[in-house]
This record gives sequence, C-alpha cells and structure tokens, in this order.
Amino acid sequence: MKHHCAAIFGYNEYSKQILKQLKGSYRNIGVFVISDAEFLEAQEDGYSVEKFDLSDNWEEIEVRFDVDSLIVFCALTDDAENVFLTISLRATFEKLFIIALAQDNESMMKMKSAGADKVMPILQIAANVIADILGKPIMTQVLHDVLYEDSDLTIMEMEIGANSPINGQYLHDIHFKRDFDLILLAIVDQEQGTTFSFASKGQNHHIDEGDILVLMGYKDKLQRLKKWNAGVDACK
Amino acid sequence: MFGRWIVDTAFFLHTYHPYQRSKIFFYNLLENQHYRYKKYFDFFMIGLIFLSVYILVSSVKHELPQGWLVFNNYVISLFFVIEYTLRFWVYSSNSKTIIEQYERDLFLHRPFSFFEAMKSIFKQKMEYVLSPTAIIDLLAIMPFFHEFRLLRIFILFRVLKLFRYAKSLRRLISILASKKFEIFTLIVFTMIMIMVSSVLIYMMEANNPDSRINTLFDAVYWAVVTIFTVGYGDFVPVTHGGRIVAMMIIVSGIAVISFATSIVVSAFTEKLDEIKEEKLIDSVNALKRMYLVCGFSPLAHEVIRKLHKRHLPILILEKDPQKVALARREGLLALAYDSASLHTYNLLKINFEHQVEAVILLHESDVANIYAGLTIRELTKIIPLYSVLHYLGNRKKFSLAGIDHIVNTHELVGSMSRIIAHQPVAFEVIHALRSEQTSTIIDEIILDSTVGDRFYKLLNDPLFYQRFSVLGIFSTSTQLFHFNPNPERGIQPGDVAIVIANRNLIDEFRAKLHRRGKV
Repeated sequence: MKHHCAAIFGYNEYSKQILKQLKGSYRNIGVFVISDAEFLEAQEDGYSVEKFDLSDNWEEIEVRFDVDSLIVFCALTDDAENVFLTISLRATFEKLFIIALAQDNESMMKMKSAGADKVMPILQIAANVIADILGKPIMTQVLHDVLYEDSDLTIMEMEIGANSPINGQYLHDIHFKRDFDLILLAIVDQEQGTTFSFASKGQNHHIDEGDILVLMGYKDKLQRLKKWNAGVDACK
Repeated sequence: MFGRWIVDTAFFLHTYHPYQRSKIFFYNLLENQHYRYKKYFDFFMIGLIFLSVYILVSSVKHELPQGWLVFNNYVISLFFVIEYTLRFWVYSSNSKTIIEQYERDLFLHRPFSFFEAMKSIFKQKMEYVLSPTAIIDLLAIMPFFHEFRLLRIFILFRVLKLFRYAKSLRRLISILASKKFEIFTLIVFTMIMIMVSSVLIYMMEANNPDSRINTLFDAVYWAVVTIFTVGYGDFVPVTHGGRIVAMMIIVSGIAVISFATSIVVSAFTEKLDEIKEEKLIDSVNALKRMYLVCGFSPLAHEVIRKLHKRHLPILILEKDPQKVALARREGLLALAYDSASLHTYNLLKINFEHQVEAVILLHESDVANIYAGLTIRELTKIIPLYSVLHYLGNRKKFSLAGIDHIVNTHELVGSMSRIIAHQPVAFEVIHALRSEQTSTIIDEIILDSTVGDRFYKLLNDPLFYQRFSVLGIFSTSTQLFHFNPNPERGIQPGDVAIVIANRNLIDEFRAKLHRRGKV
C-alpha cells in the first residue's frame, strides 16, 4: 500500500528530523502534539499542527486523512506514553501503518505488542552505527551511501505479482546476479508470515505471489526488474 | 676557576643526550614499575637471590665445589654492587643540582657556591644511602667480604631484597606502614609486659631449687614464649607467686595477639578499595590494545555490548562511582576517574599511541564529551576520536575539538524514518544484518593481490556458491565501490570486499582464502 499522508506525534528533535526527511514525499503531513510549547514551536516552524490527548478520540485523524493511505510516526519522548499512544491508535484503526520510536530493546518489544508495525530502537540503532564505524568502517560508509545518500546504487523491495515471470519459480532458478546485475538480500514469504529470511539461507524457496524480495543494485536495473516483474516485456 | 669548570661540566652532562638517555634507561629499569623490561630485570634479581640462599643453605652441611662459592661470593655480589651503584647514581641528578645552585646564585648576583652545591648533592645521596631499602641492599653485598665468615649470615639480607622486586610484598609493607602508630603502641605495650613479667617471674622462681628458671635470660625467654601463647613447657613456674604471674601474662598475651590481629585486619580493610583500584590500574597497563570509552551512559552500555564481539578489551572511564559500580557488576573494566582530566591519564599511565585503538566519547552531555575530547587531543593527535552528539547545533564545536567521527541519534532516526516509511522490509533486513542478531551478518574482508584468483574461484566452490553474497569491492585507493564485481577486474591492493553470509561461512571463507593449496 502506497502511503500519501503522514501524521507525526510529538514535536521534539526526533520528530523534527523525521519531518525533514518526509517533507517532499507526502502530500499531507500533520503534526500532533500534547503540550502548548510543542504546539507553538511546530506552528512557528510552519507545520500544520493539532493538539491531542491520550484519550480514544481520533476524529481529527479520520476527518483530516484517508486512514488507508496514512502512515503514523509515534515519536513521543516518553516510552510509556508512546506505547499508550500506539495501543490507542491500533485499537481504533486496525489497518493503520504505525512506526514507533523506542528508547531500547525492552521498549521495542512493548511497542510491538502494542501493535506497532515497525519499531525503531534508538539506542540499538545508534550503538550499531557506532560499533560499525569502529569495526567495519568501509561497510558502514557503503551502506550509508546506499541507504541515505542520493546514489545510483540503492536498495528496493519488490512484491511478486500474479503475472510476474518469477511467480512459481524456485529461488535457485533465478540468477539475479548474472542476469540482472542485482543482488538478492532477503525474501519475505507471505505463507510463512511477515518475517524475512536471508537469500543466502533459502535457495530452495518457492516464490509465490505476494512474496517480497529485497534487492540491491543500480536504479535503472532495479526499474527494469520491476517492470519485468509487473509483466512488462522489458528486459533480460 | 674550578667552580666554573664544575658548572660547565654540569651543563655538558645535562645536555649530553647519550648520558641522559642511559640514565633514563637505568632509572626505568630499576625504578619505573611501568617500564616493560623492568619485570625481566626483577625476575633476574629474584633468581639470583634464591640461588644465593640455596648455595648458603647447601654449604651448611655439604662441601660445595669452589666454583659455586666463588659464584656466590663474587659474581652474585658483583651484580648487587653494580645495582647498588646504579641506584645511587639515578637517585638524584648531580648536574641538575649544580645548575640549580648556579642559576640561583646568578639570579642573586653572587659567586657560584661550590660548597652549597656539594652539600645539596651529599644530602640527596645520603637520603638514598640511609633509606631502609638501600641499607638492606648494602648489607646484602656484605658476603662479598667472605673472609669474615660471620658476614656470610648477611646473605639472608638478600632475601629481604625480595621486597624490592615483589610488588605484593611492597604492598604489604605499605599497608602495615599506614598503622605505624598502632604497631608502635603494641610493641611498647608488649615490651613493658615482657619486662615486668620476666622480672617478676625471676624474683619468684630464681631462688627455688625446683624451678628451672634460674637466670634473667630464662625468665625473659619464658615470658616471650608465654605472652605469644606458644608455651613450649620446657620452663614452668613452680611457686604460687610464679603461677599467679603466669596467669596474668597468659591473659595479657591474648590481648596482645588480639590487638596485633585487629591492627593487621583493619589496615587491610581500610586499604582494600585502594588495593583493588591498584590492581585494576595494573590490568589496564597490561593491556596491549583497547577501546577507551569515556562515560557510562545507556548508549555506552549498548555500544560496549556490541564491541565485545570484537574481542578487544574495553576500558571505561566514568566519574560517577555508582555508574562505575554498575559497570563492574556487568563484569566490565571500569575506573572511577574523570575522563576530562589530564591527571587521570598521567595517573593511569595510558600510552595512547601504543595501547588505544580508538576513544569513544559517550557522556550524556555534549559539554562533557567536548571537554574529554579536548583533553585527549592534548595527549594525542593520532588516535581516532568518536563521539555521540546530543544537540545538532554543537556539531561545529565537536569538529573544532578534533573529534573525527560524530554520531547524532536524531539525524540517524530521521534518515532511517525515510527508509522505514518507504521500504519497511528493507529496513528490517539492514537492521538485522547490522545488529548481528541472526547468524547471517554483513562483514568486510580485506583482500590483497595475492588472493585475487583464489577469491573468485572460492565463490564458485560448492560450499560458498549461492550461500555467500559479495555485495561489492571497495577500493581504498580510488574510494570507489564496485558493486557485484566482475572477476575480470581482479583484485587490486587496498581492496575490501563487503559480504553477506553466515558468520561461520565467512570465517571459513577467510581461512580458505589465505590457505595454500588448490581450491
């Protein structure tokens, strides 16, 4: 599901950075805050801002956004409040895509239990990056360029469609490296749930409609594969 | 004229590098606990001491070959003479004393006082000569004059020299020295008790024909044996008066023993933390390579957990004793020192260039991180500094402070939010690879031109085929990343492969890459 609008809860250093990154990608972005100070600050910074409390009254969301194409960031500084916010949203909107921030792994588990689709554990993310810069500086630099910089080399996730030529084939029959100049990193099997498995482990995997492939490669080559996957006779 | 010549000679020696270098070398060898070769010298001297005592004990009942005795009397003694002379030499600097006296006199517009300079030198050297350890050293040399047979007993003074070389013995002495007053009181009390009781027992027993205590020496011997609760029973009081004295002295003896025990125990208890700290500092000094983490915040905790996988020791410096206690409970090497103080690094004697792989500043405030960073930059310009940045507005200050790598959690979360919003699965894949939570990891393999052919051949080996992904090769010379590399490119010097696979498979690949023989 392509998301067109975004709602960010909380206005702090994390949400400011999230807004900075999302600004150009969504046509409707709303900021929701609890305190007056946050409200004024967000308003001064030019964002469309609303106040909310942690009750179950989410009318404002329904009025302002198309919930099916809405992505929500729960970025309150207090983990307990963030969990409460996540669980309140999930209780009201079953299909809403919720991304939550958590200070550590412990809170991450709680966020997941509260119904967040994806959780960003801040401490672990920062620790991973610091440890990687120290121990694997080159890998860190390469991944940074691929993920965050506007480089030709990028990462893409692709859902297998019903008409895809890959549908129904075994993973070991498709040579992404040789034929597409792409590297398959991981695959999500729809039949087995939403967790992924690394490509290096599951070569006997049978690819079905709805599976998601995570690939790395140059943008043009990824686009060609995407078209081919969609059933367009574009390449090979 | 003579004074002028002395001053010139002093200036010459003070600036003559070979002379100063050799003096520093011997000072380090003899006195500097942190000098890497000192321990070998200490072991050598301990060996000589044991050998010397062994020869002495053997010679009591056996006729030893002449060579052994010559070795003991001359060779070993000669080593001790040389050691004594070197210690005498390095104890103080005569040239420095003369120069100081000359400059003082010059400043006060008076002629150089040779006599004053010599007096200062004599005072300094006598300070050494009269120190307990130097006296023991001198007595240990005495067997050199073996013609005086009685002086052979001085070999036992060589055993006392062990205090110089064994750190634990030195520590014991320093602990007991902290209770000088109590020990002195105990000794005085014991002596008075011995004196009084021996005179009393002599008075009661000396004239009784049935008693074996006939002389004052017998009485003192009996008093000492009784007061220290040994009681051999070879001398026993037979008179009523003597037995009353015995009862008194037995009760006093228990008091003496209890007092002595309590002094030693309290000395050790009081110094326990200090001893533990000293041992920790010793273990820090013994580390060859380590990460230095400044500040023990929750982020530091997490970073350390990740770094532990690299099997490189980590030293934590944290001012807050509670946080240090927490770190120690986790089995980490943590010291309660201020990471922003030069005094800390002087005290710990950390050699940044040789011991520290990288410094990671993880305090919970930007001020503390910058302050610590600047302190470390004063000590070393080479070691890479990594720091967490809490407030983005301080980024420039961090760069000015000489911090090489800056990580800001807000920026990281912001950048990741874009990926997670558009490609949530891809985000999870990358996060899982980086966090090393599963057996599949992303890693670097350093390559050189000698493994070029082998590298590509191994990728087609059934063990690695389709189970080992090479994302690309990064060339450190051109700073370019070659995605999905073609074997025709070969391997260039400075290439690093970025791979994804099971961690055991990566280890196996590394091993096979550098193993000789056919693939």
